[in-house]
Amino acid sequence: MAGISTHVLDTDRGRPAAGVRIELSVLDGERWRLVRSAVTNADGRTDAPILPADEARTGQYELVFHVGDYFRQRPGTAEADIFIDDPVVRFAIFDARQHYHVPMLCAPASFTTYRGS
Amino acid sequence: MDRIALTRRSLGGLGLGGAVAVAGTPSQAQPSGAAPASGTQPGPLAAAPTSQAGLGPRLTLHAIDNAHGTPGAGLVCDLSIREGELYRPIKTVTTTANGRPAEPLLVDDALKPGRYEVLLHVGAYFAALGVALPSPNFLDRVPIRFQIRDPRQRYHLPVLFTPWGYSYYRGS
Repeated sequence: MAGISTHVLDTDRGRPAAGVRIELSVLDGERWRLVRSAVTNADGRTDAPILPADEARTGQYELVFHVGDYFRQRPGTAEADIFIDDPVVRFAIFDARQHYHVPMLCAPASFTTYRGS
Repeated sequence: MDRIALTRRSLGGLGLGGAVAVAGTPSQAQPSGAAPASGTQPGPLAAAPTSQAGLGPRLTLHAIDNAHGTPGAGLVCDLSIREGELYRPIKTVTTTANGRPAEPLLVDDALKPGRYEVLLHVGAYFAALGVALPSPNFLDRVPIRFQIRDPRQRYHLPVLFTPWGYSYYRGS
């Protein structure tokens, strides 16, 4: 199935990051246009694909992960320890027939993303 | 099952591989077929890791090419600071043969609290090395965003990257 999906994992605690707000935007000329906003469920995923297959087009996309709010609400995290709070991933759909799974692994001072499956 | 697979891949592909490259064997041989050593392109790893312990306030960056197991040499990096809703450019630097810019990105009084972005020109880096990439490339210009809260501290920013993923963290 084509489209874009994501999965947010809290590698500091070794569990899914639930309640993280995510925004997907597409580059429209010179501007990023918001496509969809979603919040991760208990499994760290969005209930529906953040970009369904029938909306997938070749182009530049941006995912913003509002993990700072997640870390602030999580017990035991000092504000001063939050080094990365709104990480952004920009990537291309280069073939709209393929699926793009773009997970993010986060901790208050660490961020990893990759093309997953 | 899916989560286990994701975790294993991330460790093998990004986290552990990078950690070994940063901290590890100083005389690692250059595999054949990897990036050629010419100009600003990565060459054999001859230098041991650098410790910055005890230095004054600064922001430093270290780029590691996890696709080739080398320093990310010749990587163009645009540093900017957030002002309102925009990021204002501060400077553009290029990493040297050891994957670090020749000078700290910011040092002493230039290190101010704020939200920063380093835009890494990853697509151009791999294109210059002749790596086969899709068009448009999956990753082209990669924004690395972070906060500096205490300008009395030293901030080190390692970035481990491939054409298909990257990792960054507050280092030491």
